Amino acid sequence: MNAVDCQKIEKSFGQGETQTKVLRGIDFTAAQGEMTFLVGPSGCGKTTLISIIAGLLGSDSGSVSLFGESLSSLSARDQILFRRRHLGFVFQQYNLLPALTAAENAAVPLFAAGMNRKLAVKKATDLLGALGIGHRADASPRLLSGGQQQRVALARALVHEPRLIICDEPTAALDHKSGESVMELLSSSAVHPDRAVVVVTHDNRVFHFAHRIAHMDDGVITHTESPTTQLSHH
Amino acid sequence: MIALAIQMLRHDGAKFLTMVLAVALAAFLTQNQASFLVAFLSMTGSQIRDVREADLWVMEPDTECFDQAKPLKETAVQTVRGFPGVEWALPFLKVDTNARTESGKLSVITLIGVPEESRVGEPIMQIGDATEIYQRDSAVIDPGGMSLLYPGQNFRPGMKIRIHDEWLTLRGVSMASPPFTGFPIVHVSHATAMRLNRAETRNTTFVVARLAAGANAAKVTKEIAQSTGWKALTREQFEAASWKFYSDQGVPNLFYITITVGLIVGIAFTGQTFLMFVKENARAFTTLKVLGFTHPQLAVMMFAQASLVVVLGLSIGTAMVVATTELAKTLPFFRGLYLPWEVTLTCCSIIGCVTVMAAGMSFYKVLKLQPADVFRA
Repeated sequence: MNAVDCQKIEKSFGQGETQTKVLRGIDFTAAQGEMTFLVGPSGCGKTTLISIIAGLLGSDSGSVSLFGESLSSLSARDQILFRRRHLGFVFQQYNLLPALTAAENAAVPLFAAGMNRKLAVKKATDLLGALGIGHRADASPRLLSGGQQQRVALARALVHEPRLIICDEPTAALDHKSGESVMELLSSSAVHPDRAVVVVTHDNRVFHFAHRIAHMDDGVITHTESPTTQLSHH
Repeated sequence: MIALAIQMLRHDGAKFLTMVLAVALAAFLTQNQASFLVAFLSMTGSQIRDVREADLWVMEPDTECFDQAKPLKETAVQTVRGFPGVEWALPFLKVDTNARTESGKLSVITLIGVPEESRVGEPIMQIGDATEIYQRDSAVIDPGGMSLLYPGQNFRPGMKIRIHDEWLTLRGVSMASPPFTGFPIVHVSHATAMRLNRAETRNTTFVVARLAAGANAAKVTKEIAQSTGWKALTREQFEAASWKFYSDQGVPNLFYITITVGLIVGIAFTGQTFLMFVKENARAFTTLKVLGFTHPQLAVMMFAQASLVVVLGLSIGTAMVVATTELAKTLPFFRGLYLPWEVTLTCCSIIGCVTVMAAGMSFYKVLKLQPADVFRA
């Protein structure tokens, strides 16, 4: 069973003459135990596709199944609960809450699930330790470097042990060394036989971390390949 | 979840402080002005309440309040005494006149005559003995009068006051309730008051009466009014009439304006700042939505934030009102000032509800946030 199974996804924005078709019948899969990269030029529809996969945006047609569960069969509330339980996110701009410490930020998905605050922060702190940033658990995000902030974001994506992690340009705001370091962590800590990782990225320096790379252009997946093939093009 | 909400709010210290102070300002202005209004209007019945023994007040039909009274005929007392249900009836003489001190300080005063036989309306004393007013050429004055006529001086026996060309000796300081007019209240014996008021042909401003045990006040007042054509009111009715008279003069309008401005400014500031807080934290709220926070959870968070602002703001505002009220009460003219719990409850309820409603309108913005926007850089 694929972790992500998208069939003939179509999505347009706007109406009438200003209507723009962003996704044109996309078929996309991501397998458990793999890190799948979604690459392509700006505006090709990558973000729209991951928004639909995450249940943050509805599609005009087609179907999305996550671990065999059809998203369209879930009510709006159940979609939120499904996302809370099974999905983790890493964003380009980290999206850490400035009011919280690193540990509290990492614990946010546990807060959403109603876990006792102390326990949640303890669990998040332990995870930060495992990701090599335990010593900054009590620091405010503004006092952390970009690489450290992305590690906190990674901890937030992992803390509730989700089955699918969606990363949007996780290395775009980082220098090469920090980006490499974050991807190594992502590869070592997120990839798991029961879990899939989908990464949207422009950064071809980290393509070697992918098990599969899906190329998108103009709203369609043009081809899918292994990173070794991709690397040979560069 | 609530702790998370409070942390978010406290993190934006400037806005948090602005909202708390705006609510505090609204709470202060509304409670302060409302308590002043209530206190001032209560003062319109001060001298009525001070005649503790009287249940009924009888007056000319044109009389609308204690301070603007047309005297009755001298026979009015006997007439009222003759009604069934009246235990006793006495003349009550009240005159607004000029007074002067030895240093030449002038003021309009309210002179009240107390009948020596019954001692009805005798003031409670702060300094001295009330019975001394029955001595010839004696008087007692209230603290407001002391402050106005003898500024900066403490009472000392033997102080003089001149009323209608007669020098009276002040024998003490009474605890007469502060009057709405702000005039000094001078108590003398009824005989002295009549002598000082000799230029007038009528010396019965009101007839005060006590109801006989078991008598029906409404029935007695109705009978007196129907038989005599005078106005007969219970103490409570006369107080209410005096309150209404001054209310109808437009006295409360300035207070109403200030109260309204206080409410509008406080609530507008709070609502606008809360809206700005939500707008500036839109990314954070969107992230929370994406990470699995439901709308009810977000609503609880925002309610907690609004509640904290309201509780802190109202507490600070109310503390300021209590402090200023206590401070003002030390001034003679503001002796009657107090903060009724009804004023605090009403003002705080209105401000609290409207502020939470304003926060609710901000929550609409959160509802409208699109989770997919979280991927926008």
